[in-house]
Amino acid sequence: MSEALSSQLSLHVKKEKNQSSFWKRVKKEFPFAIGSTPFIWQLFFFYLPLFFLITSSVIKLSQAGHFETFTLEHFRTIFTPTYFHVIKNSLSLAFFTTSICLIIGFPLAYSIVFHGGRLKSLLLFLLIIPFWTNFILHIYAWFFVLEKHGFINSLLLSTGLISDPIQFLNSYFSIYLMMVYFYLPFMVLPIFSSLERFDHSLLEASLDLGANKRQTLRRILIPVSMNAIKSGIYLVFIPSFGEFVIPELMGGAKDLFIGNVISLFVMDYHTAPIGIAFTVISVVALLLSLIVLQFGLKQVTKLLIGGTSWAKS
Amino acid sequence: MGKKLKGLIPHAFLFVTFGFLYLPLLVLVAFSFNSRSFPSPWGNFTLKWYKELFSSSGVWESFFNSFIVASTSTLLCTMLTMFLLYLLLRYRTLGNWSTLFYGNLIIPETVLGVGLLSYFSLLNIPLGIPTIIIAHTVLGLGFSIPILFTRFFEIDHRIFEASRVLGASSTQTFFKVALPLIRPTFFATGLMIFIISFDDFVLTYFCSGTSAQTLSLFLVASIRFGVSPVINAFASILLILIILLASLFFSFKKEARLF
Repeated sequence: MSEALSSQLSLHVKKEKNQSSFWKRVKKEFPFAIGSTPFIWQLFFFYLPLFFLITSSVIKLSQAGHFETFTLEHFRTIFTPTYFHVIKNSLSLAFFTTSICLIIGFPLAYSIVFHGGRLKSLLLFLLIIPFWTNFILHIYAWFFVLEKHGFINSLLLSTGLISDPIQFLNSYFSIYLMMVYFYLPFMVLPIFSSLERFDHSLLEASLDLGANKRQTLRRILIPVSMNAIKSGIYLVFIPSFGEFVIPELMGGAKDLFIGNVISLFVMDYHTAPIGIAFTVISVVALLLSLIVLQFGLKQVTKLLIGGTSWAKS
Repeated sequence: MGKKLKGLIPHAFLFVTFGFLYLPLLVLVAFSFNSRSFPSPWGNFTLKWYKELFSSSGVWESFFNSFIVASTSTLLCTMLTMFLLYLLLRYRTLGNWSTLFYGNLIIPETVLGVGLLSYFSLLNIPLGIPTIIIAHTVLGLGFSIPILFTRFFEIDHRIFEASRVLGASSTQTFFKVALPLIRPTFFATGLMIFIISFDDFVLTYFCSGTSAQTLSLFLVASIRFGVSPVINAFASILLILIILLASLFFSFKKEARLF
């Protein structure tokens, strides 16, 4: 019996040897082969497109579409005050949207966590639903509320507060209303999760040790959620910088934002390089403003928190 | 008395903000039951817009396209992320390379859309559903990889070592130890990517070409065209679907620890 077993074993060993080093290599390299696919995907559909985007903004093509020379012509075309005004529009849209979202978002997250009580998870659920609904439906829904014969106007008219309907649509008011409405959850969710996770007994400790509510807010709550506030700020600032559907549909396309200009140029085949040059410039503007924002946030944090060093990480 | 009023401020604030969030949705749903179409005042209760919705093909076609796009890109995203995690299980030190995927969220969608559009036209790839799927997958990876990485590295890696020492192959360790541990996060992230892809407008707008029509494109086109109660009816049905999906998401939420 044991002989049979040992012969079987030796057979097995032989077989494994016969399998040669090829399969062993395959087995060893397999994780790399499979694990490199996301990197290949990322290279082909993220880094290469961005690389070509940058190069095609400095290349002049001949009529037939072949490479002719390097040129800065496209940049020269858009280096005019009009287009700087567009970038300024987008930056201020992003800045004010972010500020309003922060001003409403932090108290909202705070109230859900500390005053939500039993309804806390229901409130979170209710916050997710508008967040997940197609935002074009939101724009559509606000038409019904803000229109001349819409909900608010008919409510105000019937109570006799106003005699003529107010023109809400096609104004900065409606643009910012929609922007804040859409981007608010991006700010609230990270702050909510950090406030939810942090040890609430720290607050009691702070109050027990004689700090008043304002000091507790400044020295404990804000430092603890600072990282979440920062990520909320970036989550709102970056997409709202490129936003163009909301201003176009809610603002009546009175002011141009970078997205409008880009889509105007790029979707027209003949002016695509100019649009791409403009895209490059606006990305540079975005990166610069992000650097400024980061610096500013650091200063604000320092000013606000002062000597609280424990919450820096 | 003053103190009592002060204590009510947070509740009032919650009430007002949630009112702000839900007022338009409620109005939207209410008008789907109105027998007269919008600017004219309230008529009678009716279901005729729902009947009309189910006989109109444009909405459902674009809905179906969106569904195909969203599910395919979610599948691709989760698969690519899984491959990466499999690699990381064997070679932990490669984790730093994941920063290569963080750019997908930093670049605004408009820029990514333009980049992909000019790239596709450079390579003569015809625009359509496949290009939309590619674009959405790139965006989705920007969510799935950072989230799942964080979760993956939170797990005590000695668990994996133990599994290997006890004789499991690395594939077995991956499927029987690592994957079950991150499964809730996996599902929750997948659901999130699905919704993001389903709702996306900007990337779709740039990468769709002329033939492919997704839900967002259809809705923008019909908004430009004017108000129609059929859209209201459709929005109400969509809301119900989203409530169902969100409940599913919430069932994973506690273990997934997304937020």
